[in-house]
Amino acid sequence: MNTMQSLPLLQNALTVGAILFSLGLVGILARRNLIVMFLAAEMMLQGISVSLVAWSRYHGDWGGHVLVIFVLTVAACEAAVALVFVLQAFSRTGRLDSAAWQSLREATVGRTVDHELPSIDTVPPKFPTLAPAGILPAADENEPLQREHV
Amino acid sequence: MTAVPFDPFASGTLLAGAVVATVASLWLLLPNGRDTTSARWLGTLLGLGALAAFILAGRRLGGLGEEAVFLIVSLVAVVSAAATIVSRSPVYAAIWFALTLAGVAGVLLVLGAQFLGVATIVVYAGAILVMFLFVLMLAQPAGLAPYDRVSNEPFLSALAGAVLLGVLSLSIGRLSAAPAACCGVPSRATATPTAGTQPPSAVGGEATAAPVADPLATAADPLAENHVARLGGELFGRHLVAVEAAGVLLLVALIGAIAVVSRGGDAQAAAVSPSSSPAAGRSAAR
Repeated sequence: MNTMQSLPLLQNALTVGAILFSLGLVGILARRNLIVMFLAAEMMLQGISVSLVAWSRYHGDWGGHVLVIFVLTVAACEAAVALVFVLQAFSRTGRLDSAAWQSLREATVGRTVDHELPSIDTVPPKFPTLAPAGILPAADENEPLQREHV
Repeated sequence: MTAVPFDPFASGTLLAGAVVATVASLWLLLPNGRDTTSARWLGTLLGLGALAAFILAGRRLGGLGEEAVFLIVSLVAVVSAAATIVSRSPVYAAIWFALTLAGVAGVLLVLGAQFLGVATIVVYAGAILVMFLFVLMLAQPAGLAPYDRVSNEPFLSALAGAVLLGVLSLSIGRLSAAPAACCGVPSRATATPTAGTQPPSAVGGEATAAPVADPLATAADPLAENHVARLGGELFGRHLVAVEAAGVLLLVALIGAIAVVSRGGDAQAAAVSPSSSPAAGRSAAR
């Protein structure tokens, strides 16, 4: 048989959805970059979408599909509005750090302090090297043409 | 039902081991300010072990048909999802998330949701993710920022996620083909493929006759025929009001985003002097 039975297919797809949701939860709890937190939230939405479509296939009706279409719509709206807020937050603090806004925390919660943070990367980035060809253009020291990292 | 009952985590030890391995792997892989290459390799190996444990504990996959495709695309989705949340650089996280979306679209296609699979690629990877990358390019300070190299409570976060995953796996493993006794919602997938044309009462009557049904008939997707046309009919027929509400929501989000950008920029330019904030020049230029 080259097609899966409906119940194992449902369970496999629900497992994938659960894994995506849990990884998104870990990301949104642990990461401090606002945009990465946002990506993790989108990942949770993806897990929910997979689960909804799996149930829809199992029950043979369109409810899950329609819900996923609305999830897409709401995710687009949410991304537009929230990215505007992220940009505003960045322009106020110069950082994409969620801990930059920890003055909003509860009075009983301790302050987030970074311990043992190395001043430079311990793992230096590796960039691809190309064989030199042609004439090396004269570099302009006044203008940084590229970032050190992406 | 000819399907073998789904009994993935009967012992419980495999599931517990998978959860523990997930916690250790995510804890090692999340940015913690003192990364070593060996710790990341160990975390990667533990993560692959956890993944293998989940696959072993789940349904045994046989054959090279739809199941192998499902395995491949779901592995792509899950591995790149893990890489998304442990990437130090947010740009790499966004790229990994694009690969996650590709995997999710594959899973949706295997599940028979053709329109949604394509829409995920077009809307998410094509529009939303590009918007993320625009914002990253606008708002990315030079170099790898310190807050990208540390995490909020990485151990507790990994524990929370892995325990949630374990509980969800347990409840998924306990699903059975028997119709729910409480609600009487019939499983139309166990009826004939033309179940969509039958009234629900007739379908509910057939659920008891499902064990003798043809396995190919139980595996067939009742939504496959004229998929997009019927999905459009459902969306613009039964859910028309919701579609209108979603359109209003999109309009409100559009206007709200523009309003916040224009007004917030002026207020911020008035409030922050150029020397106090490193980004003041950029926001004033906007």
